[in-house]
Amino acid sequence: MPREPIYITEWHTLTDIIKMMFVSGETGDPISETTTLIEQIVQDQVQHMLRECTNLATRRGSKSISTDDLFMLIRHDRAKISRLRHFLQWKDVRRSVKDSDDKGGDAGADVGADPDLLPGAGAGPGAPGGGMDAGKKAKRAKVDLVWDVQSFFAENPPLMDDVEDEEEEEMTYATLLRLKNADERTKNMTREEYVHWSDCRQASFTYRKGKRFKEWAGFGLITDSKPSDDIIDILGFLTFEIVQTLTEEALKVKQAEDLWKKSNGGGGKEEKSLKRKRERGLFDPPEEAREPVQTAHVQEAYRRLQKGNNKSKAMLNFTRNVHRSALKLI
Amino acid sequence: MFAPSLQHRTSSRERQHYARNPPQPPNTIRIRTPNPPLSDEAMSNGSNNNALGEGVDVVPEEDPRAARWREQYMRTEARLAAVLGGACNFDLLDANVNSSSAAADLAPAAHDALPTATPKKPVRTIDEDDYGDDDDAEDEDDTRTSPLLAKSAPNGTAVGGLDPPSLRMPTLSSKFGLERTSSPISVHAKSSDDVRKKLEQDKKAAEDAAKRSFHTLFHTLESDRDAMLEQQKLDELDRQVETEMSGQSANAPVAGTPVAPQQGTLSTTNLGASSLTLKHLIARIDAQRDKVHASDTQLRSLISEVRKNRSKWANEDRVGQEELYESMEKVLMELKAGEHANPFLQRVNKREAPDYYNIIKQPMDIGTMMKKLKQLQYKSKKEFTDDLMLIWANCLKYNSASDHPLRKKALYMRKETEKLVPLIPEITVRDRAEVEAEERRMRNGDADADGAEDSEDEEPIMASRGRKAPSKGAKGSSTTTRKAPPAGLEGTPGPDTKPAVPTLNHTVSNLKNEFLRADSEMEGSVNGLSTPPPGTLTPLGPNGALRNGVHGSQTDISDADGTGASMSGFFEEDADLDDLEYKTWKQVTKKDRATIAAERHRLFRDDQLQVDEPAILRSKAGMRRWLRHRKQAIEEESSNNTASQPDGKDGVAPTAGETLAEGIEGEEERQIPDYYDPVCAVPDLNERQQWIEDSEGHVIQQFEEYMRIVPKGQFVAPEGSLVKKMESNMRQMQETRKICAKIGIVKQMQLQSQMYQNQFQKYDPQPFVEADIEPMVVSEDGPVMAPYVCRAALQRSVGKVFYHAGFEEFQPSALDAITDIAGDFFEKLVKSLAVYRETPKMRIPVSTAVPNASNLIKWTPRFTQEEAVLHALQVNGVDLESLETYVKDDIERLGSKLAGMHDRMRSYYAELLRPAIDNAGADGAGAFNDGSEQFVGGDFAEDIGEDFFGFKELGLDREFGVSFSVPLHLLQNRMHQLHASQNTNNVATTGVLMEEPQKFEPITMQTIPNHIGLVQDWFLAKLQDNGNEALIEDDELPPKQRFPKPRLPPTGKISSPRKRPLREQQQMARKKRKLDEGREENGGNGGANSQNKGIDKPLGKLKFEMPRKENQAVNEPEKDDGSAVGMISPESIPAA
Repeated sequence: MPREPIYITEWHTLTDIIKMMFVSGETGDPISETTTLIEQIVQDQVQHMLRECTNLATRRGSKSISTDDLFMLIRHDRAKISRLRHFLQWKDVRRSVKDSDDKGGDAGADVGADPDLLPGAGAGPGAPGGGMDAGKKAKRAKVDLVWDVQSFFAENPPLMDDVEDEEEEEMTYATLLRLKNADERTKNMTREEYVHWSDCRQASFTYRKGKRFKEWAGFGLITDSKPSDDIIDILGFLTFEIVQTLTEEALKVKQAEDLWKKSNGGGGKEEKSLKRKRERGLFDPPEEAREPVQTAHVQEAYRRLQKGNNKSKAMLNFTRNVHRSALKLI
Repeated sequence: MFAPSLQHRTSSRERQHYARNPPQPPNTIRIRTPNPPLSDEAMSNGSNNNALGEGVDVVPEEDPRAARWREQYMRTEARLAAVLGGACNFDLLDANVNSSSAAADLAPAAHDALPTATPKKPVRTIDEDDYGDDDDAEDEDDTRTSPLLAKSAPNGTAVGGLDPPSLRMPTLSSKFGLERTSSPISVHAKSSDDVRKKLEQDKKAAEDAAKRSFHTLFHTLESDRDAMLEQQKLDELDRQVETEMSGQSANAPVAGTPVAPQQGTLSTTNLGASSLTLKHLIARIDAQRDKVHASDTQLRSLISEVRKNRSKWANEDRVGQEELYESMEKVLMELKAGEHANPFLQRVNKREAPDYYNIIKQPMDIGTMMKKLKQLQYKSKKEFTDDLMLIWANCLKYNSASDHPLRKKALYMRKETEKLVPLIPEITVRDRAEVEAEERRMRNGDADADGAEDSEDEEPIMASRGRKAPSKGAKGSSTTTRKAPPAGLEGTPGPDTKPAVPTLNHTVSNLKNEFLRADSEMEGSVNGLSTPPPGTLTPLGPNGALRNGVHGSQTDISDADGTGASMSGFFEEDADLDDLEYKTWKQVTKKDRATIAAERHRLFRDDQLQVDEPAILRSKAGMRRWLRHRKQAIEEESSNNTASQPDGKDGVAPTAGETLAEGIEGEEERQIPDYYDPVCAVPDLNERQQWIEDSEGHVIQQFEEYMRIVPKGQFVAPEGSLVKKMESNMRQMQETRKICAKIGIVKQMQLQSQMYQNQFQKYDPQPFVEADIEPMVVSEDGPVMAPYVCRAALQRSVGKVFYHAGFEEFQPSALDAITDIAGDFFEKLVKSLAVYRETPKMRIPVSTAVPNASNLIKWTPRFTQEEAVLHALQVNGVDLESLETYVKDDIERLGSKLAGMHDRMRSYYAELLRPAIDNAGADGAGAFNDGSEQFVGGDFAEDIGEDFFGFKELGLDREFGVSFSVPLHLLQNRMHQLHASQNTNNVATTGVLMEEPQKFEPITMQTIPNHIGLVQDWFLAKLQDNGNEALIEDDELPPKQRFPKPRLPPTGKISSPRKRPLREQQQMARKKRKLDEGREENGGNGGANSQNKGIDKPLGKLKFEMPRKENQAVNEPEKDDGSAVGMISPESIPAA
C-alpha cells in the first residue's frame, strides 16, 4: 500500500483520536504509537478518498468534487450511507435553526453538538418550538442520493408529507448497537466522567479546525478545488467513522487474543483479575486497569478491514492475472 | 475279426481319427447298412484297410462273423459315445435298429443327411462348433450327393464312360454297392479321389471360414503393402518365365498345340479335375441321372463340347497332360502365393550367398519350376513333387541353424506342399498313340482276365481300370488283394498278416501310402504303365514319411475340425506361431489385396495424386458380388433367426445356381471383405432417409423420430416471481414517466406563450415483450448451441436490468460492454461450478453389519449440489446475503418507492393542472353553462374524485389523439395566463425593483391634441387609415402580426433598413392602391374630407377586422386568445 506521507503540519489530531477511541471503547489513554498509527491510517484513507473523488469529478466533467462523489465512494456500505444522510439532515436542521436563531435570536446553542453522534438525544437537548419546526422542515428536505428513484425521472415533484423513510430505520441497526454499547459503558459513570465522556463524543477532526484539517488531508495538493463546508463535514464524519471502526476492530482482535491467552495457560491470574474487576474495589483504578490496544492489534484490525471479498477478483478466476486490490475504505 | 476292435481300443488317437472322419459322408451312411460297413470302414480308415480288406473278403462267405464284428463295433461305438457324451445313447440304439434293417431302405434314406449323421453325433460333439456351419454342410452335401445317388442308381453300368474322377467314382461305388465283390482298386481309387476332394474341400472350407471370419474381424490395411510387393515380385517372376519361354517359343507350339478334339475316342475327353464349373454340372447330372435320357457317351460328348475353355495345357496328343499340369500349376500357384514363398521364388543369388552352390548341388526354386512347367518338362507327378521337395530340402540344408528364419519358412512351405500334393493326380503323361494301342490291347484281354464283373462294364477305361487288378495281380497274389507290393515296400506286412497292434506312425504312413498307391495304380491302369512305387514319393526318409502320414491324417482331422487348431498342436516344431486366423486371412486374400493395393498405389504413386491414372470405378462384377454377399448375409441371419437346423439340401440349389451363373459370366471371385472394395457397395441407408415415392409419385415425407422442436421459452426470461416483480416495476416506471412527460408539457405551456400541436413528442412507451425464437428443429437433446442468439438474449436481459435500474435509454456500446462482462462472469461462475461438481469423489468405507462386506466402498461426490453451488458463488464474490439484499432492496423496495413516486408525480401533476380547471370552473359560463346542479351543490370534487385527474389525463390524451374534450389551446391559454400571473406575483413578491412602465395611452382622435404637434398630422393620417379607431401598439398586435423587433447585428452596424415580409409588402401595396382610389374619390368630394372620413372609412374598417378584434381582446383576454391560439393550432380553429 503505497502511501504518500503528506505531513504538512503537526497538529493535534492525536487528542481527537484519543477521544474518539475512548468513545469507541478504548481506554482513556492509549499508547501514543497506536494513536499515531491510527492517525496515519486515517490520513491515508482521507487522501485516498480525495483522490478517488477527484477522479470521479473529472469523469463527470467537473473540476470540483461534490458530496455526490463522496456518497459514491461509500455507496456499497448502506449503513454508512444512511448514517451519513442522517448526519447531513441534522446538519441542515442545525443550519436552519441557526438561521432562525439569527432571525429570532432564540436559544438553541446546544444544537451545535454533532447530532449524529447523539442521534438519540439529537433533537432532545435543543427542543424549543421553533427549532423543532425548523428541524421538521429540514428533515423533509432530505438528502437525496443520486442513484435514487427520483433520478429515474425528468421531473422532481415535491415530497409528500406522508412519505416515511423506512429505509433508515433498518439502517440504523449498527447505530443502535453502538448506542447500546455506549449506554453500557456510561451506565456506571459518575457525573464528571459522563461529562468527560460526552465531551469526548464531540471530538471531531474538522469541527472548528477546518483549515488545519484541509491542510492535513492534502486539499490543494490532491485536489485543486475549494471544498465546500459540506464536504469537510462529511469528511469529518467519515474520519470519525474510520477511527471508530478501527478501534472496535482492534478491540475485537485484542479480545480474541486475550481469550486465546486465557485458554492457553495463565488462567488463574486472569480469573482473579476478572473477579476483581467485577467487584471493583475501592482503590482500583476505574477502567484504566485494562491494557490499551497495541499497534499490533490495530495493524491486525486494519488488515482485516482491508481484506477484500472475492467479488473484486471474480473476473480474474481462471486467468493468470494477479489481483491487485485497491485501498479499501474503512 | 479282432483287428478292428483291437485297433479301436489300443490307439486312442486312431479312434479319434476314425471318429473325426465325417467328411466322407458316404462312409457314415454305409456304416449303417448291414454289410457295407466293413468296406466303408476300410475306406474311411486307411489303416484298417488291410484288415477290412480281409473282412470284405470274408463277409460274403460268413455272415455271422460279420454280424459279430458289427456287434462288437457297435459296442465300441457305444463305449465311445459313453465316454464322449452320454446323451446320444438313444441315437446309438436307433442306429443299431437301423443297421439291422434292410439295406434297401437306406438308399432313399441317404438323401436325408440328418438321420444318417446321428450315429456320428456323439463323436462330433468334440468339435461341434464347426459343424454348425451351413457352408460346410453344403459343401459336403455337394460332394456327398453324387456318390450316394450314383450308388442308389439302379444301373451302375450306364455310368461307365467318363474319365473324370467325379464321374468315375460314383460308378465304381455303385458297382461296389451292387455287388459284394468289392474291387479294392476301385476302393482305393475312390479314396484317393476322396483325399483329393477332401483337400479341395478342406481348402475351400478354410477359405469359407476365413471369408466368414473376414466379416467378424476387421483387418487393417497395413499388410497390404507387403502383399502388393510380394505380388509384384510374383508377377515379375511370371513375366521372367514368360520371356524366357518366349525365347524358346519354337518349342511351345509343338508342345501345346491344341488339336481339334477328336470325338471318336471318348477317352480323350479328359475333363480336368480342376474345372470347377463342370464339377458342379456333373454333380447335378449325376444326382439326376435317372431322369436324364441320354447315354453316358452322349453325355460325355456333350460335356466335352460344352467345355470350351479348355486349359492351355490341353493337348490331344498327350494324354493326361492337361489334368496333371492343371493341378501342378495350381499347386505351384498356390505355393507361390503363400506368404512364406518369397525367398523361394527365384534362384539363390550367388552374390547373396557365395557358398550356396558349394553346399547345394541341385538348386531349385519356384521360378525354375514354373519354367519347367511351361516347357512341359514334367512327365509325372513325382518329378514335380521331387522338385518341390528339393527346394525346401535345399533351404533346410543350407540354413542348418535351427533358429534360422528361413527354416521356418521352408518348414511351412513344406507343410503346405504336403497338403497340396495329394491334389495332383497320379498321371503320367503319355503319347496318345501309345495309350490307344494299349487300350486296344487291354480291351482284347478284358473278358478272359476279369471275368463277368468286368464284362458288364461297357466303359473301356473303367474296364482298363478294373483290369488294373490283373496288372497288380502280377505283382501281388490274388485279384482282390493288391496290397502286397506296396505293403512290402513300406515294410508293413501284408494285409492278411497285419499285426494286431501297428504303431501309429506306421498306420498313418500306411494310410498315406495307400492313397498314393491307389492313385498310382489307378493311373497306371489307365495308362497301362507301371508307376514307380509310392514309397519313393517321399524322399525325406522315415521322418518325412511320418510327416507325410501324419499329414494325411491331419487333413482329415482338420477337415473334420474346420479349424486347424489341432493341426498347430501337432506341428509345434514348426515355428509358425502366427495367429492362424490372421494367417489364413493373409494367405487367402493376399492376391486380391495386392491387386487392390496396387490399384490404389497406381493412383498415388510418388506420393502424389496421379491424375492420368484411371480412376477406381464401380464395376458390375463388384456390385454383383456385393449384392450376393448381402443376400448371403441376410439368408444367414434369417436362418439363424428361425433357429432351424440348417438343411443342407435346401441350401444347395440356390448357391449352386448362383455359382453357375457366375462362372458363365466369367466373374472372378474375390476373397475379400466388402470394405476392401468401397466403391462397389451401397452404404446402408437409414430407412427414414430413403427417398420413397408413393403411387402418385409424391415423395413420402420421412419424419425423423429424433428430430424435435426446441421447446419454447428457452430464450426468454422464465416465469418467476422475481421476473414478475421486475416487470411490474418497469411498468410502473413507464406509467410514471408518462405522467412525467405530461408534467413537462404543462410546464412548457406555462412558460411558452404559444404552442404547437407537434411541439411535444407524445410519450408512448411500448410494453416490454420478450420475443422467443422462431420454432426451430434440432436433432439432439442437448442445449441449443447458438452463441449469437444466447448473447442477444443476455443482452436483452441486461437491457431490462438497465431499465429497471432507472436508465431510460443507454448507448449500445454500453450495453455491449456490460453484456460481455456479464457473459464472462457467468462463464466463470459456471466454470467454477463445474470444478466443484467434478471434484474427485471421496471414498467412504461403508461399515455394515455384515462382516464380510468390509470391502464395500461407497463413492460419494466431494460436494453436494448445494455445496457446489455455494462454493461457486462464494469464489465469484457472490453470497446469498447479497443476492437477497438485491432482491429485497433493489427490487421489492424499489417497487414501493416507485409506487410512492408515482403518487407524488400524479399529485404534482394535478397540482399543476388544478388552477386551469378551477379557472374554467370559475369562469363558469364556458365550462358549466348548463347550470348543472353538482357544481352548485359543491359535490363536484367528490363526484369526480379520483377520476378528476383521470379526466384531465384523458382530456390531454384525447387532445393528442383524435377527439378532444378540452381543447389544448384553451388549456394552454389558461395555464399560461395563470402561470404568468403567478410569475408576476412571484416577481412582485420577490421584489423586482424596476416597476413596469406605464402603458402608453392609446392614440385616439381624442388624445391626439395631447401629443406634440409634429406628429399630430401623422397620427391623424394613421387614425384616418384606421377608420378613426384607436391605433394599436406594435406590442399589442397578435404575435403573428407583430413586426420582428430589429436586432443589432454583432457587427454593431445597422446595415440596412428593416425589410418587411413579402406578404406584408404586398398587403401594403394593395392597401396603398385602395387608399389612392379612396383619395381620388375623396378628392372628388371636395375639401370636406375631415368630416366624411368617418363615413368613408367603414370600407377600410372592414378590411382591418383583425386589429379591431385585437382591440377588443385587450378587454376580454379569453376571446382574443381564442383567435390568437387559432394561429397556433390551425386544426383546432374550425373545430372551435
